[in-house]
Amino acid sequence: MFQQVIAVIIMIFFLSRLFLHKKRKKISTNEFLFWLIFWIFSFLAIIFIKKIDSLVANLGFSASGIDVLLYFGFVVLFYLIFRLRLKIEKMDRNITTIVREITLINNKKNHES
Amino acid sequence: MKVFCIIPVWNEEKNIVKIINDLKDLTDLTDPSIDEIVVVDDNSNDNTYNLVKNKGVTVLRHIINRDQGAALATGNEYALQNNADIVIHFDGDGQFLVSDIRRALKPIFANEVDVVYGSRFLGKENNIPRLKKNILFPIARMVNYFLLGIKMTDPQSGFRVMNKKALKLIDINQRGKAHCSEILYKVFKNNLRVKEVPITVIYNHFGQNFFGGVKIVKDLLISKLIG
Repeated sequence: MFQQVIAVIIMIFFLSRLFLHKKRKKISTNEFLFWLIFWIFSFLAIIFIKKIDSLVANLGFSASGIDVLLYFGFVVLFYLIFRLRLKIEKMDRNITTIVREITLINNKKNHES
Repeated sequence: MKVFCIIPVWNEEKNIVKIINDLKDLTDLTDPSIDEIVVVDDNSNDNTYNLVKNKGVTVLRHIINRDQGAALATGNEYALQNNADIVIHFDGDGQFLVSDIRRALKPIFANEVDVVYGSRFLGKENNIPRLKKNILFPIARMVNYFLLGIKMTDPQSGFRVMNKKALKLIDINQRGKAHCSEILYKVFKNNLRVKEVPITVIYNHFGQNFFGGVKIVKDLLISKLIG
């Protein structure tokens, strides 16, 4: 019970930050929705942890519900890192394109002057 | 036919002047000649840019370092914008011999092929380090064969000549060393006619090591995922 209260307090803190960022327009609507849904799911998972325990046991896992949530969290994190990786790669390509354009424009300017 | 020679360089103050002088000598001798020497300086932090600037050749300078593939792509884009008919890719570290260019140009001028690759494994004497010759290059050949379905004696060769058709079809997205495999893949994907000619490669330094090869494979895989 005590751990659940601590977890909920932490979640409320992050949710308040989330709404603050949204209010200051520091994050996009999509990002806001993603994190809002993420925290709502986390909140429900913590509140109904006993139900998750029995669900996990019924599915044949030997670990407790919180352990399974942790494993799930790892999977999500790996996926997010993978997405970030691809996004960085695309940005990197765009930077190269910009550098190329600048190089060719500078060359033209040097010729004209 | 307008022939452009593209040389990507990064910190090559020791080699680049000799290469340009040799190319200019060749330009005087070769018929048809090289019309424009294009040096792409990938933001060198030594004296390369200033040395090249005074040599009477075209010099394009990246405002930040983007690696060899990106420099080559900049050279290709410049060549296309300036109506080049034939493009020669030539390394700026002095490992290739200018005298091999003439042999590589011939099949393109004769319209026998669209792309000519210089190969260090076709008969000419080369001082290739043993580790590279017996282990790294065979692995590179296998990776290219299994990953890209391509069989070449020297798939990592940076010495190539392309006609306009090939130049238009091949856009280089790999800014690092993986551009060699990418270009080769696009040559075969577009059913371009290819020929390998023997060249001499002088090893002043070891070049790509095993981990460099691993990075190439990683870059190619990520590129496949991005599309």
